[in-house]
Amino acid sequence: MLRILHGTHYDFIKWWKHMAILTAIWIAIGLVLFFARGRGFNYSIEFTGGTLMQAQFAKATTDDEVRGALTQAGFPHAEIQQFGSPVDYTVRARPEEQGTTVAAGDSTSKQIERALKAHFGDTNVRIVRTEFVGPRVGEELRRNALIAILISFGVTLIYLAIRFEWRFGVAAVVATAHDILTTLAFIMMLHLEISLTVVAAILTVIGYSLNDTIIIFDRVRENLKKQRKESLRDVMNRSINETLPRSIMTHATTLAATLALLLFAGEVIRPFSWVMAFGIFTGTFSSIYVATALLLYIEQRWPRRSGESKGTARALAEDRRQGRADKMATR
Amino acid sequence: MSNLKWRLIGIGGLTVLAAFLLFPRNKTVQQRGSDGVLRETVQRHVPLRYGLDLQGGMHLALEVDDSKQVVANKSEAIDRALKTVRNRIEGFGVSEPVIQKAGSDRIIVELPGIADQDRALAVVQNQAFLEFKITDETQALERVLPRLDAIIKDKKLAPATASTPGTPTPGAPKGLQGLLTSADSGKPDSSKKVAAAKTDTTSKDSLQLNAGGALSNLIQQGGMSGEYFVETANVATVDRFFTDSSVKAALPPAREVLWGTDSTVMGGRTYKSLYVVDSRPIITGEFLVDAKPNTSPLEGTIVQFKMNNVGGRRFRNETGKHVGDYMAIVLDKRVMGRPPVIQSAIGTDGQITMGGKDLAAAQDLALVLRAGALPVPLKVAEIRSIGPSLGQDSINKGMRAAIIAVALVVLVMVVYYRLSGLLAVGALAFYVLFTLATLAGFDAVLTLPGIAGFVLSIGIAVDANVLIFERIREELDRGKTVRTAIDEGFKHAMPAIIDSNVSTILTAAVLYQYGTGPVKGFAVTLIAGIVASLISAIFIVRTFYLLWLQRTRGTQTLSI
Repeated sequence: MLRILHGTHYDFIKWWKHMAILTAIWIAIGLVLFFARGRGFNYSIEFTGGTLMQAQFAKATTDDEVRGALTQAGFPHAEIQQFGSPVDYTVRARPEEQGTTVAAGDSTSKQIERALKAHFGDTNVRIVRTEFVGPRVGEELRRNALIAILISFGVTLIYLAIRFEWRFGVAAVVATAHDILTTLAFIMMLHLEISLTVVAAILTVIGYSLNDTIIIFDRVRENLKKQRKESLRDVMNRSINETLPRSIMTHATTLAATLALLLFAGEVIRPFSWVMAFGIFTGTFSSIYVATALLLYIEQRWPRRSGESKGTARALAEDRRQGRADKMATR
Repeated sequence: MSNLKWRLIGIGGLTVLAAFLLFPRNKTVQQRGSDGVLRETVQRHVPLRYGLDLQGGMHLALEVDDSKQVVANKSEAIDRALKTVRNRIEGFGVSEPVIQKAGSDRIIVELPGIADQDRALAVVQNQAFLEFKITDETQALERVLPRLDAIIKDKKLAPATASTPGTPTPGAPKGLQGLLTSADSGKPDSSKKVAAAKTDTTSKDSLQLNAGGALSNLIQQGGMSGEYFVETANVATVDRFFTDSSVKAALPPAREVLWGTDSTVMGGRTYKSLYVVDSRPIITGEFLVDAKPNTSPLEGTIVQFKMNNVGGRRFRNETGKHVGDYMAIVLDKRVMGRPPVIQSAIGTDGQITMGGKDLAAAQDLALVLRAGALPVPLKVAEIRSIGPSLGQDSINKGMRAAIIAVALVVLVMVVYYRLSGLLAVGALAFYVLFTLATLAGFDAVLTLPGIAGFVLSIGIAVDANVLIFERIREELDRGKTVRTAIDEGFKHAMPAIIDSNVSTILTAAVLYQYGTGPVKGFAVTLIAGIVASLISAIFIVRTFYLLWLQRTRGTQTLSI
């Protein structure tokens, strides 16, 4: 039987403060970048409105070359980006950019296409993708994405409150919020574009992280039912250690799938893959250091009334007996 | 024993159902051939629908355009517009288009496999409101021009330097005049239209326009009564003048100013035509019963139309009164081609010349005329257009990633859990089959994020197995027999599996509800994946174990 990290007795909870500082620094870097970059996040045109085109050139070209062609057509501020290979470029024009032949009733995409074809030759450019989003649609999508995240929070909270207890629900939701913040900081650091697909990736990260948290909490719930003389803190540590092989294995298989996406699924889906790859780390991290540590804190700060849960009350009494409660509850 | 039998029957049943859902079937598809004729072809393929981002095509969101007129009840207007759009798309010949209302004021149109974005846009968006109007013969515009110039000056509508560099028109009226005449004599056969214009210019002197005002500087009389030319570079300026409310108010009564679709090249400059016509149409397209494209050796591509009897009678009456006049064919407030002279009373049949446009344009115009006018003008709120090559590329890359992901997961599982890992991998095969079948069964659309979700779910799918296997190991550690350890392992792992998967399904459901397009596809794949993974990890792996236990009676070791 091949075994990794079997029968470990690491004291995970002991490190919670260090980890809290570490993750706070991470989020702070994200915040600094957010303000330093002025415009904040790099939203895709789905959210900002505007026109995006992906062009494939017959032979490799440069940003400057493409920019020259576009400046002539009246798009000096269009964003030009190489997309995966030297022959693929994306051009993105903000909605306020009009171009020179807008009067003739030409759409922005038509003008860009014409400008590129005029510069590089008709047969040397192929437009493989065009996206246009009106300003109203973008606003709506942004609102819907936010609503989706908030509702998924609410639904999770209610489900966990029913299946476990509200304290578990709160701890899990805070851990999830932490995941969103660290992931956003990560997006800031890599300057990834926030598109609908990336929002989907963030929501998947939430799902994955919750998964992880719930599996540890399920162990905690189970271990609390056992008639052991053990402090709550030890129960948490034991639960994390017992689920460690599973965490590592699931982590490995999911990471394998994510890496396959990141390396082989191409440029279109790459931001999604990056977010997922990071999310798997942060999800596992937060299940241990945020969710579990927070649950311990909540249980000590707002102790249950006697008779509410015998297991937890017993463990808390054990905590007090060992004089550990103070350590955890210090603010 | 009988328990095992039922389990095997259950798995067999599910597999047969999945195979049935995925079995390739025939489908009749309407497609327009290169000659423009709609044909029905029978295609045979696996009933898994690719999203537009994978097969290429165009996604459109249309809204009521209320910039020009106020629309009281948008939702109702959209309902009526939806019918017209559907009729048009059906005639356009796209296989499996989606045309639906989204929210209260939007129409979503999805056209798989459409490469020509502009054509599709035109077909969907053309309001196709057809009117026939007599061009003005009273020189009404000339008479009000000084007043218009004064208004423009007062309101400072003209750019500070009216003579924009590069456009010699303003301030140099004489030069322009010369240009027109020289162009006419210099290129007598440049096009049929200019030739026609020439004959008229000789009869009517067009040079009295140049009063020196901001507007009159930019406008030049054309070849027939009510026709004017504006240089392309000035079109935007002139258009801005005419949309100003005080200018509009000062226009001659019962007349309107409309742009033409044609442009004329004279002396190296391109001019756009502008027409002053009676605002009352002699007839509208509501009486039209048929329209078809055609080519005529003289006029190039044309659209021939037929009116019903009522329309025909009225048309005959009206045109009878206007013999010798020019009749502008106005489609969506734009004059199509050059207004022809009415030679004699016209009955039920008529035609629209398409100018230099090709047969496809004539086909599309005939199509929108047949399908009827849109009750309200529509504007595009969103376009997503993916070329077929990019879609194919996405499919290839997505599939490659999926295969590599599966290989990696299989490797990890088999190395770590040996025989049990192999059982889990066997179950994974069922998982893939069930997921695809669920997608086919619900007629879900497979998008690129959907493929990503699927690849991801392969990694997550084995999670339930991992949980169970770890539990079984724990039970074995406690010295339980193999059979009991397996039973207990499954039992104890269950709450964690249920809770974690239900919460993920809830998140995916929220995504489905609030997501759009590709993201919806992602949510559907995720949900299908989770359900399939629960069936395969819990039910199928358990059955494999039972089978294995039965064959190796009384075994004391388990390869896990």
